[in-house]
Amino acid sequence: MSAEAPSHTPVLVIRPSLGWRALDLREVWTYRELLGIFVWRDLKVRYRQTILGALWIVGQPLISMIIFTLLFNRVAHFQAEGGAPYPVFVLSGLLVWNLVSNSINRAGNSLIGSSFLISKVYFPRLIIPLSNVLTEIVDFGVAALLLVAMMVWYRTLPGITILLLPVAVLIACMMALGVGLWIAALNVEYRDIRVAVPFVLQLGMYVTPIVYPLTAIPERYRWLAALNPMTGIAQTFRASLLRLPVPTTALAWSAAAAILLLVSGGYYFRRMERRFADIL
Amino acid sequence: MAQPSIVIDKISKRYRLGGFERGYRTLRDALTGKKKREANELWALRDVSLEVERGEALGLIGHNGAGKSTLLKILSRITEPSSGQAMLYGRVASLLEVGTGFHPELTGRENIFLNGAILGMTRAEIRRDFDAIVAFAEIDRFLDTPVKRYSSGMYVRLAFAVAAHLTPEILLIDEVLSVGDAEFQRRCLGRMNEVARSGRTVVFVSHNLASIESLCPRAVLLSRGEIARSGPTREVVAHYLSRRSKAAMVDLRAADRDGEGLARLTGIEVLSADGAEAIDQLLFRQPFRARLHYEVSARISGASFGFGLLTSNGQRVFISESFEQGRTFDLDPGAGSVDCIIENPNIVPAVYRFELWISDIPGVQATDHLVSIGEIEVTPGEQTSGTGIATLTSGVRGVVFVDTRWSEAR
Repeated sequence: MSAEAPSHTPVLVIRPSLGWRALDLREVWTYRELLGIFVWRDLKVRYRQTILGALWIVGQPLISMIIFTLLFNRVAHFQAEGGAPYPVFVLSGLLVWNLVSNSINRAGNSLIGSSFLISKVYFPRLIIPLSNVLTEIVDFGVAALLLVAMMVWYRTLPGITILLLPVAVLIACMMALGVGLWIAALNVEYRDIRVAVPFVLQLGMYVTPIVYPLTAIPERYRWLAALNPMTGIAQTFRASLLRLPVPTTALAWSAAAAILLLVSGGYYFRRMERRFADIL
Repeated sequence: MAQPSIVIDKISKRYRLGGFERGYRTLRDALTGKKKREANELWALRDVSLEVERGEALGLIGHNGAGKSTLLKILSRITEPSSGQAMLYGRVASLLEVGTGFHPELTGRENIFLNGAILGMTRAEIRRDFDAIVAFAEIDRFLDTPVKRYSSGMYVRLAFAVAAHLTPEILLIDEVLSVGDAEFQRRCLGRMNEVARSGRTVVFVSHNLASIESLCPRAVLLSRGEIARSGPTREVVAHYLSRRSKAAMVDLRAADRDGEGLARLTGIEVLSADGAEAIDQLLFRQPFRARLHYEVSARISGASFGFGLLTSNGQRVFISESFEQGRTFDLDPGAGSVDCIIENPNIVPAVYRFELWISDIPGVQATDHLVSIGEIEVTPGEQTSGTGIATLTSGVRGVVFVDTRWSEAR
C-alpha cells in the first residue's frame, strides 16, 4: 500500500448528482472481485445448505417436464415442432424460461434483500442484481445437465445450429437483467410490486410457447405471440438444440427488445440509485 | 506543510419526512395520485464545512441525531449530500458497523473473504493479512465452523479483526469500538492508535468520550446538523459535557394522549439518581430518576402516577405504578412534579421510549396516559466490561440484562 497519494487532485469528489447519470461500467469493473464474491457466496450458501437445494434445481424442471408432457402431449395431443420428443421439447423451453424468470425474480428483490449492505457500505449497486443473474446462470448450467441426459436418452443430437445456443442464452440474460433492473429500482420505492412480479411471470410462461409449441397458437394470433420478446428467445434456444429452423425475425426482435430493456433498465437504476440508501 | 485529506465544503443533507411513516410508497398510491402528506423537511446536516489533514485523527461527537452518522454516510458515499461537496484525497474505507455482510451459514474463513471484500479489500490483500486476522480474532480453532455457531464474542472479534486490517488512506469509523469485552476493546483501541499513527487519516464517531480523547487530538462537536464547536478534543468534550447537563425536559403538552384530562402530564425529565443533574444518556445499569411534571385543574386526592419504558418498537420493558408501591399523591390545582427513581435498570444498551400516566382512581382509569413518547438512550459504559454486552447485538440480546454465573455441574 503506497501512502504516497497524489496530493493536489482529489481521488474522489462527492457532490449531489442531478437527473440521469452515466452507467459508469468502468467502476463496476473495478468492483469485479466483489461481484465474484457475491456470486460465490450465493452459490456456496445455496449448494451447501441442503443437498435438496441442489437436487431441487434439477428436480423442479424434471417434475414440471413430466406434468406438462402428460398434459399437453398425452392429453391435449400437441406435437413438438420438427418432431422432437415432447419431453425434450418442454424441458428445453422450461430451462430457458426458468433462467429468465428466476433471474428477474431474484434481481428484482435483490436490493431489498441487501438493504443491510446498501445502508452500510458503498459499492456500485448495479453489482447486486448483476450477481443474482450470474448465480442463476450457474443454476441454469446445472439444470442443463438434465437436458443433456434427456437428449442422450432420446438420441436427439443438435446440429450446427448449436452455435446459436450461447446467443440465445446471452439474449435471455440481457433481457432478464434489464427487466430485473427495472423491477429492483421500482421495488425500492413501490413495495407492492414484489407481490405482482411472480404472478405476472407465471402468466408469462403460459402466454409464451414454452410448454406448448408455437404451432398450437391459431394462425391469426401468432403475431401477438411474436410481439412477446420471450417467444424469440425460447424458439431460438430450441432451434439451436433440436435442429429446427432458426426464427431469424423473432430472434432479431428479441435481441432488440433485450438491448432496449437492458440499457433503459440500467439508466433508470442509476437514476434511482442515489435514493436507495435513504429509502431502504 | 499540512496537506488536506478531506475537504468538506458546505455540505447539507435534507431528508423529507413524509406523512407516511415508511420511506417508500406503494404503486397504488402513485397510480391513484395520492400524494404524500405535506412533507416535513429535516436538515440532518446544514452547511457543514470542515478540513481534515493527512494523518490526522479527528473525533466527531454530538447527541443522537446531531448528524454525525449522516456525515460519515456521505463521506463513505452511501448517501448523497443535498448540496455542497466534499473532496477526498486518498482511498477511503468506512466502517459503519462491524461484520457488515457476514453470512451466518458461511464459515469463519469464508466470512473473512466475504467481509474483507465488502469493506473494499482486494483478495490479494486479504490473503496476505489472513493469518494476522485469524490471530487477532483468536478463532483459529473455529475457522471452518459456520459463524452461526459462534458466540457473540467470537463473532465480534472476528468482525473487528477483519476491519482492523483495512489499510486505506482514509478511514471512517462509526461507533464500533463499543463492542466486545474490555480486554478486546483495549486491543482494538491499541490497533486504532496504530492506524492513526501510521499516517492515515481517521474520522472517528463515538459516544465513548474517553476513547475519543485517547485517539483524537482534535474533535468536532455537531449539534442539530451544524458544527457547534471544533478544536482540541479536551476543550470540545468539556464544552459538550457542560451543554449536555443542561438537557431540556421533554415537553408533553402537545403529545398524543388518552384520558379525560382532569390532570395532564406536561413534561418528563431524566435526572441522575440523586436528582442533581439532568441527563440525556444513561450508562448501562446507571440508576436514574424520572421527573414527571403535571398540571391539575381540580383537586384530586389519592392520585397515582405510572412510569414505564418501551423498546423503540413499542414493546413494554417494565412499568411501575406508584400506588402499587403504596404511594399516592394528593394534587392541588396547578402545576407540580413527582419523581420515580429507577434503582436497577438492567436493560441492554439501546434507545428506549417512555410510557407515563396519571390515574385519579388508581387501578381503574387513567386521567392522562401517554405511550411511546420522548426517548432515552442507554449506552454501554465502563460497566459493560465483562458482561459481553455489545451494541452490535442489542436486538439479539433481548431487552433485559440478568446477572448469571456459570459453573461446572457437580
